Parts: sequence; structure tokens; C-alpha cells
Amino acid sequence: MIFMEKQTHQKMRTAAHSNRQPVLELRHVTCAYEAGRPAISDISLTAQEGDIVCLLGPSGCGKTTTLRAIAGFEAITAGEVYLQGRLVSSPSLSVPTEQRRIGMVFQEYALFPHLRVVDNVAFGLRHLPADQRADQVNTMLAMVGLTGFERRYPHELSGGQQQRVALARALAQKPVMLLLDEPFSNLDPDMTGKMREDLLQLLRHTNTTALLVTHDHDEAFAMADRIAVLNHGQLEQLDVPEAIYHTPATPFVADFVGQADFIPGVVEQGTVLTELGIFPHEKEYSLGAKVVVMIRPDDVHVAPSDQAKATILARQFRGSENLYTIALPSGRIVHSSASSTSIHPVGTPVELRVIATHTVLFPQDDDLAQP
Amino acid sequence: MTQAIRQWLPTSVSALGVLVAGLVVLPLLYILTLALSAQAVVWSRLWQTRIPELLSNTAWLAIGVSVGTLLIGVSLAWLIVRYDFRGRRIWEWALVLPLTMPTYVLAYIYTYLLGTGGPVEQLWRLIAGPQAQVFSPQTYAGATLVMTLDTFPFVYLLTRAALLNLNVSFEEVGRACGVTRLGILWRVTLPLLRPAIVAGLSLVILYVVSDFGAVSLLRYQTFTYAVYQQLTGRYDHAAAAILSLLLVVFALIFLLAERWFRQRSRFYQTMGRYRAPARKACGLLGTILITAYCVLILGAAFAVPAWLLLKWTATVISDGTIDARFFGFMVNSTFLSALAATIAIILGTPLAYLATRRHSRVSVLCLQAAYAGYVLPGPVGALAILVAFSQIAPFWYGTVIVLIVAYVVHFLPAGLQTMEPALQQVTPNLEEAARSLGSSTVQILRTVTLPLVRGGFIVAWVLIFLQCMKELPATLLLRPVGFDTLAVRVWLEASEEYFQLAAPAALLIVVMTVPALLLLVAKDWRAA
Repeated sequence: MIFMEKQTHQKMRTAAHSNRQPVLELRHVTCAYEAGRPAISDISLTAQEGDIVCLLGPSGCGKTTTLRAIAGFEAITAGEVYLQGRLVSSPSLSVPTEQRRIGMVFQEYALFPHLRVVDNVAFGLRHLPADQRADQVNTMLAMVGLTGFERRYPHELSGGQQQRVALARALAQKPVMLLLDEPFSNLDPDMTGKMREDLLQLLRHTNTTALLVTHDHDEAFAMADRIAVLNHGQLEQLDVPEAIYHTPATPFVADFVGQADFIPGVVEQGTVLTELGIFPHEKEYSLGAKVVVMIRPDDVHVAPSDQAKATILARQFRGSENLYTIALPSGRIVHSSASSTSIHPVGTPVELRVIATHTVLFPQDDDLAQP
Repeated sequence: MTQAIRQWLPTSVSALGVLVAGLVVLPLLYILTLALSAQAVVWSRLWQTRIPELLSNTAWLAIGVSVGTLLIGVSLAWLIVRYDFRGRRIWEWALVLPLTMPTYVLAYIYTYLLGTGGPVEQLWRLIAGPQAQVFSPQTYAGATLVMTLDTFPFVYLLTRAALLNLNVSFEEVGRACGVTRLGILWRVTLPLLRPAIVAGLSLVILYVVSDFGAVSLLRYQTFTYAVYQQLTGRYDHAAAAILSLLLVVFALIFLLAERWFRQRSRFYQTMGRYRAPARKACGLLGTILITAYCVLILGAAFAVPAWLLLKWTATVISDGTIDARFFGFMVNSTFLSALAATIAIILGTPLAYLATRRHSRVSVLCLQAAYAGYVLPGPVGALAILVAFSQIAPFWYGTVIVLIVAYVVHFLPAGLQTMEPALQQVTPNLEEAARSLGSSTVQILRTVTLPLVRGGFIVAWVLIFLQCMKELPATLLLRPVGFDTLAVRVWLEASEEYFQLAAPAALLIVVMTVPALLLLVAKDWRAA
């Protein structure tokens, strides 16, 4: 099953981007503010034309540093950065930002407070004759749906409108790629859903290659063709969103992109034996090896049963679902999500059934095996 | 929030506030009536003889000093914030020191330095030949130089703060748009700094047009000097009032400008998440050039004058020229200043309380009225008090009381500016909590509010105290006969060109001001 899925993804990607030069390519990029303590180390990734790649990770993981290295705001200490096949950053060379032809949307949008919307968008278009410049600005504003707002100042706009101006300004100069630094973090949570959809549609429509930095996995899942998960400056996994969620490469990724429980088990012939039952196993681990099985709450189904040894410890109502915290006989905790209409009170003994489409195993270490 | 307080805040506080505000604004009203009720002949005479000259002199001085402080202040702020060189941290602090020099002290020192046969001329003759001359300090150039050296820290401080708060994202996004570094400087950075720079310049101009000490010693005819002359030479109150009114209007424009632009600059900077720009490291040559520039400016504005004051004071002391009278002046100054500061704090408390706790039209009006003292330059304030007292309480004329009132009216605004934020930082919730625990209003004030604002109020007291110590024109005009203060002595000796005799008092004023200035600057200082 896993195998098949991976193959499909592979096929999809190769079909879409066969033999084309990547717009962005990072080769073993390392950035260090202080020697010996790299902010990011050995990051490699590529983006093809029209790709939306997400850099996902907790704060301080180096995702913004990566973005700034691509923009040319940070010097790199090892590796190379290519934009459209042109070397723009290496330890010995750094093309200035203004010559990289990138568009950038900052977290706080950085709209020039002293300029009107129209002048903000036209900021990088000085080289064009006036009429072309005006045309380009009008096209951009129409594209982001802000026609009629030309004469406003940034502080007279809502957060969402400011973001769209920032986007129009970044795209106005027809950049080779767009860099977005946490573009939704300054917006009202109610608005982000709509804004995500709009942004995605716009990027698809203009076939813009984009690199988006975020700490929110929902945002990454919603937007990205591929996600690069970063932690402590290391690239943990680079894959399509589905694979990041279902087959995380490391326990960190598993935990960061959604709720996960790690149940210890022992490898037997072709299977893994755990408290929750037997899981298929694909020969990565030797016989008798101690492992943990990653289990997502949506894989665990509960059924009340008087004979059951596991009991419900807590229930959290989440609107579309109930999240149950369940204590196993060993005292270990697992979580289960069930439809919000079937309610079992706390204390109910329940039978657990795990229906996982893929088994994700990690070597057992003390941290993960803790109850 | 305010609703709850409004219910229990006694109206006596409001009444007190209105009373204080009235007291402060009364002199201004006197000036206004006096000027407007003056005979048309006086107006036309002044208009034909004095006003054009005074206007152009004052305006040119303001323009000259603005250009000078703009160049010096902005360039220094830029170097300090954007470059890294040895000694940067020390320079960053040291560059505010010229503010400790009252203008009359700097003016008198430059009268000596640039005077005929003075050190600068001697030095210049070594270079340019025996007949060479330097410009006289008692000219437009001299007044501009002295005022520039004395006031550039205003521009430096405000520009520096704005540069430190400037979000580097603005510059980065500009570069991402393909604009060169020079283009960014002109199209992004300077426009964003503009409100802060203009606020600084407005402060400088306000200072220049209301200055009396320097222009009187340098014999440069401006409004303040002319008002003083009308009062002391011609005893012409009506003419003085007319000139004062013009001066007040002049000052008011720049006071409002400063407020407006400071507001704007705050609004410019609070946008978005802050990130500091990287500082450019300087090589040896860069360090030498920047240091030389700082040495030149600070040397001219502070170090050389301070050194001269020290030298002269030492001479005077070893000569034994300094006598018991000097300590008398010291006592006079300290006594007057301490009394005025204490009264100002007591009167300012209800006003500050009203402003922070009760937002009503009355309280805003009271506060604005209290700030009127700001637009009453020394001689004008003195004239106003003089006239007011001769109308209301002529028997007090020529006593210390008049002087104290003048000080309080003039410096209450400066105190309020420190007291207001101090009170603002105490959340009304604390007072409401105390109220819910059964304390009365007076108890709350004594046990909760005042202990919490003590620090801010002490700073305000120190500030007013020092301003009073330095105050010259009102003291000159209103002091009781034979009652001299340190500032008055400096001015009297200096106008007779007894440079050495003026030094001890001047030095004392400067030395006392240094710690207070550093304290004040440190309040909203963020190390660059």
C-alpha cells in the first residue's frame, strides 16, 4: 500500500516536470551565524516551475533563514543556491538581492507606510515607462481584487487587503519565484481559510513558483505541492503532504504534523507485536528488534465493551469529532478520534481496533516509549 | 473602565485641576488682552521699526540652525546606528552631553573663543597669516554656530531612536523589488525617518526661537531679546506684549508640528514585527574618520567648553576671587528651584491624574492649558507674570513669590510630560482592586497609586529643579533686587566679559545637569 502510493507520487512528479530546469535549487546549503553552530545545515531541495513548496517547522528551526538565504539576505557558509540555473549564492559569491529577481512577501507585509497602494505596487517598476508602469499596476491590482484602492495608504487597509497589496507588489516585477514568509500569521484566524484558497488560486493561475514558510501544518497541507520539514536546521523530510502525514520519516515529523502516539513493540517474523495487536512489518528491522509503532487517532476505533481492559480517560469535543484519551491496561495512553455524534462517557471500558493503512515504525528510544 | 472610576473619583480633583490649569493659562490671557488692546500706533510703530528685522533675524537663525542640526544630527545618528567601530557605545552616550550646556554658557565661551585675539583667531593666524580674522561671534554666523552645537542632540536623539526602531523589512522588501541600496536610502529609509527628523527639527526651532541666553550675549536681535529690551530699556509693556504674542504664535506652530510628527513617527514604526538591521563593521580607516568627526563635534560642543570652565574655575579658586557671595547665589538657586519643583509636582498631580484617569473634555482642556507654559519663552512668561501680578496682587511684586510662580508656569509642562506616563503605567485595575477591598480614595492614593508612581514623579521633580537652576530670562526680569542666582551671575559676568568669574557658576550648572540628563535619556534608551 505504502509502496504503491509512493510510486504514484513519483510518477505524478516526473510526469509534470520531466527534464526541465528547476527554478530553484539548493545544494547542501549551510548557514552559520557563529562558526560551529549552523542555523541551517546541508539543506538540499528543488522547486520546478509552478511548484509550491512549503518549509515547515517549529520556530527557530531555520526555515526563515533558508528563505532569507535564497533571497540573498543571509550569506551561506557552504553549498550553492541556484535560481533558474544561475548560481546566486555560494560561500564565495552572493548576488545582491536586487539582482535576483525574486518577489518577497514578508510576514508583516512591510508595505511602505509613506506610499499609497499604487506607489507601493509600482515601487520596483521604475525602469518601465510611465504608461506601462500604470498598466502593470492596474493589472496587478485587478488580479488581487483591489481595483479602487489605489489611493489608499497601507494603514487604511485591512490585514487581508494589506497582504494582497504585498502580493501584488511582489508579483508586479514578474519575479522568477515568490518567497512568502508566514503570510497568514498576521491575519485573523477566521480569514485565513479564505485567504489560503485565494492565494493558492492566484499562484496556480499565474503559474508562480513559490516557496512558503510556515509553522502551521494545516497551512502547509492546504497549500503545498511538496513540504520540507525542518528541525534544528536539518531537513527531516521532503515529500508530498500525504506522505508527510501518513509515512513520516522521523518521529519528529510524525509528531509535528498531527497527533501521534508511539506504541512500543517487538519485531517478530513479518509482524510487530504490540499491546494494541499485531502490525505488518516490511523487514526494515531485524528479528527481536525493539521498535515503536506510530498510530494516528483516526486509525484507532473504539467500541464500548464490558470485558475491555482499556478505559476512556477523557473526551475532548472538537466539533467535527470527539478526541478520546484512552488508558491501556499498561497505563500507556493512546488517542482515538470518533465522529462527534457517538458519545462515550469518561470511564467507559472500550475495545480498541486499529485500522492503519500503513505501519510506520521507528527504533525504540526512551523518549518515545514513555507512557 | 472609566465609568467605574468616574463614579467614585471625587469632583474635588476636577475642581483642583481646573484651578491649576486656570492659574497657568491666566498669564497667557493677560498677554493676549494686553497685545490686542494696545493702541494702533504702537502696532504700526513696531511694524515699521522692529518687526520685519526681528522676524527675518529669528527666521534666519531658525533656518541656519535647522540646516546645521539636520546635517550633524542625522549623520551622527546614522553612523552610530548603522556602523560598528571601536568606542561606538561611548560616543552614543557622549553625543547627548551638549544638552547639559545652557545656551548662555556656550555663547559666552564662544565669545571668548572666537573673540578678537581669542584662541581660534590665534590658531587661524598661524595657518592663514598674521592679518587673518575669524568671524565675530556676535553675528548671525556666531549665533547659528552656538545654537547648532547646543541643539543638534535633539535631532540626533530622535533620528537615532527612529533608526533603531526602523524595521529592516522595509529596506529588504525594497531590495527584493530590485532597487539599489542608494535608491533604498532615498526612497525608503529617509522618507520613513522623515517624521522623526522633522520632530527633532521642530524641537530645535522651538528652542531657538525661545532662547534668550545665547542671543542676548551674542547681541543678536530676535524676538526674545527684543521683548527683554522693551521691558528693561523702555518699560513698554504694550510693545513687549505685541512682540510676545508674535513669538508665541511662532513657537506654537513648531510645538504643534513637533507633536504631530512625533505621533506620525510612532505610527510609522509600530507596523509589523521588528527586526534590527545588521551593523556594518568599520575598518581602521573608517574608525579613524568616524572618531575624528565625533571628536570634532563633541569637542566643539562640549569638551573644549567644559575644559575651559574647569580651567577658569581652578584659576578663580586659586586666586581667591571666589567668595562667600558665590555660596549665597548657590543657596538662592537651590532654594528657589527646590521650592518651585515641589510646588509644580503638587499642582501637577491632580492634572496628571485627570488626564490619565478621566477622559473628559474638561480634563483634556485642562491639560492643554497647562502645556501653554511651553509656548511662553522666558521673557514672555516673565512679562505675563509681571502684568498678571501688577493687576491681581501688586503688593507681591518684587518678591520671590513672583519668581516661583513664573517657574511653575514655565516648567509645569515639562514635569507633566514625565508624570503623565508614570501614572498611565499604573493600571486603574489596581485602584479598583483596592477599592473592592474597601479602601477610600485618599487611602488608595496614599497606599497604591503614589508609591507606584514615585519613581516617575521624582524624575519630574529633578527635571523641573534643573530647568529652574538654568533659568535665566524670567529670573533676570523678576528677581527681587539684589537676589542673584547662579544663572544670573553667569550672564551678568559674561556680558561684562569677565569670563573667568562666570566660570564657577556655569561649571556648577553643567555638572549638576549631567547626571540628570543621563537619567532622562536612559529612560527610553535602547542601546544600539
